[in-house]
Amino acid sequence: MYGIIDCDNCYVSCERVFRPDLNGKPVVVLSNNDGCVVARSNEAKRMGIKAGTPYYQLAELFPGQKIAVFSSNYELYGELTGRVVDIIRKEVPAYFRYSIDECFVYLDGMEHLDLKQWGETLHKKIRQYVGMPVSIGLAPNKTLAKTASYFAKKYQGYRHCCLIDSDEKRRKALKLFPIDEVWGIGRRYAAKLQSMGIHTAYDFAECHLEWVRLTFRNIVIERTWRELNGEDCVPNEQLANKKSICTSRSFNGMVADFPTLRTHVANYAARCAEKLRMQRTVASIVGVFAHTNPFREDLAQYYNFQEQRLLTPSSSTTTIVQAATDVLQKIFREGYQYKKAGVIVMGIGPNNAIQQDLFDINAEQFEKMRRLDAVVDRINRLHGTETIVLGSQQYTRKDGKGKADVFANAIKHDFRSKNPTTRWSDIIILK
Amino acid sequence: MPKTIQIINGDFASQQPLQLAPGIKAGFPSPADDYHHDSLDFNRDLIRHPEATFYGRVVGDSMIDAGINDGDIAVIDRSIEAKEGDVVVAYVNEEFTIKYLDLTHKDEGYIELRPANKNYKPIRIDADDDFEVWGVVLWTIKPMHSL
Repeated sequence: MYGIIDCDNCYVSCERVFRPDLNGKPVVVLSNNDGCVVARSNEAKRMGIKAGTPYYQLAELFPGQKIAVFSSNYELYGELTGRVVDIIRKEVPAYFRYSIDECFVYLDGMEHLDLKQWGETLHKKIRQYVGMPVSIGLAPNKTLAKTASYFAKKYQGYRHCCLIDSDEKRRKALKLFPIDEVWGIGRRYAAKLQSMGIHTAYDFAECHLEWVRLTFRNIVIERTWRELNGEDCVPNEQLANKKSICTSRSFNGMVADFPTLRTHVANYAARCAEKLRMQRTVASIVGVFAHTNPFREDLAQYYNFQEQRLLTPSSSTTTIVQAATDVLQKIFREGYQYKKAGVIVMGIGPNNAIQQDLFDINAEQFEKMRRLDAVVDRINRLHGTETIVLGSQQYTRKDGKGKADVFANAIKHDFRSKNPTTRWSDIIILK
Repeated sequence: MPKTIQIINGDFASQQPLQLAPGIKAGFPSPADDYHHDSLDFNRDLIRHPEATFYGRVVGDSMIDAGINDGDIAVIDRSIEAKEGDVVVAYVNEEFTIKYLDLTHKDEGYIELRPANKNYKPIRIDADDDFEVWGVVLWTIKPMHSL
């Protein structure tokens, strides 16, 4: 038996932990640089606010309506969802954290329990301990567990936990499940299926396997079909291999010069390295993309992405920033107004099982880097992020004279909440 | 029967330090090994539910007769059901407040948040008010020396 536990409207729910007055009210969280809406409370969804709505349009589209707006505060979201995972892992034999707000659990050996009851109790516990509402889907495989969680979220009657444990329940659920919501079927394939008259997961599951194979020639789609029919075949590696870490941002304005773009990319790369170390992993591929603003049709357009393989997988800030800078050098073209850039690290594996390249063995250097990163992480944890950074992460001062000493200023976050769980200066005030 | 080897991928993401391995060492064995006991640890012993524990800073003197002063740090546990007489953190009028929980009037349809300072009045919460105890205060920590 599998389960998927995911946080309802995760970022909004995190903000509400320390703002209980916002329960039942429309709340949205904005993307980095306060660009557009990335998370919405149910009330905001009901008002008709769409994901991706630019912030500046909110006031025009919903005049006179009170909407609580927050800049994204990943420090807070990371800490609170970490607590949720800590509660979950004490309850199950094995788990896999799939994203910031989703966690797969393996319930082998728990079949003798009333799993529906178990899920409802777990929901209550997480709600009480952390203040986070979650939805729980339980089923014999991961795809059906995802399906169950859709129903747990959508219908209050399930009391936050939906269990698919019979063929009858499976059929009933699939008939009500839109094809474009099925886990593993991307937007493109969903559109293709819909054009063929396949609108529900049930329609798809009833197709012949041979037809699915011939039409799509895609192992992921075939596995999805098998799982919808009750088989357990999506391997854990399929979850893990998907893993990549991306740090990207739209700029506050546009950037045309290489030094500024390089500084942005160095900061994203450093952030990726930090995330790798936080989860005790290393990456073997570093990719960089940069592009212009596609909405500004009056300007010349450019997009490029390239990647570079590291000789030895690494999580060292120095190594990853160096690789990202090298890639940027290759894709940068003079004469464009860049709007967004990002760093993606891939080929992620555990940091205590590193395959060293035969031609890249320098154990002493490797150990030095590891120790340097550990010290930098410790200082930044104690004194706040970006107390110590690489020189290449430093922006030029506004007046052009030397380096600026504040780095975070590069990101706009006018409505950012405090960090009551990670900074003593921000703990809640009790009157 | 065909023999197959199944390759099992290890999960190295989590680590479990070994508590104690006293047998492996050179030299004379310490006579204290048999009496090994973990050191006292506030993080382990005072914070029983780390996932449910939050901290708050006391502002003002409304709880002064309970020994809770301006500037104290309160250790708040959300996993505990609040009982009559507990010091709790509640969210009232868009503020967090630290008070005694008084459930003696529950049957009459209201509860009170009682201060520990005669200059303050209790806060009355009626049954239909939107109200929730946010957490229970387990400990307060007070600075005795400015560092």
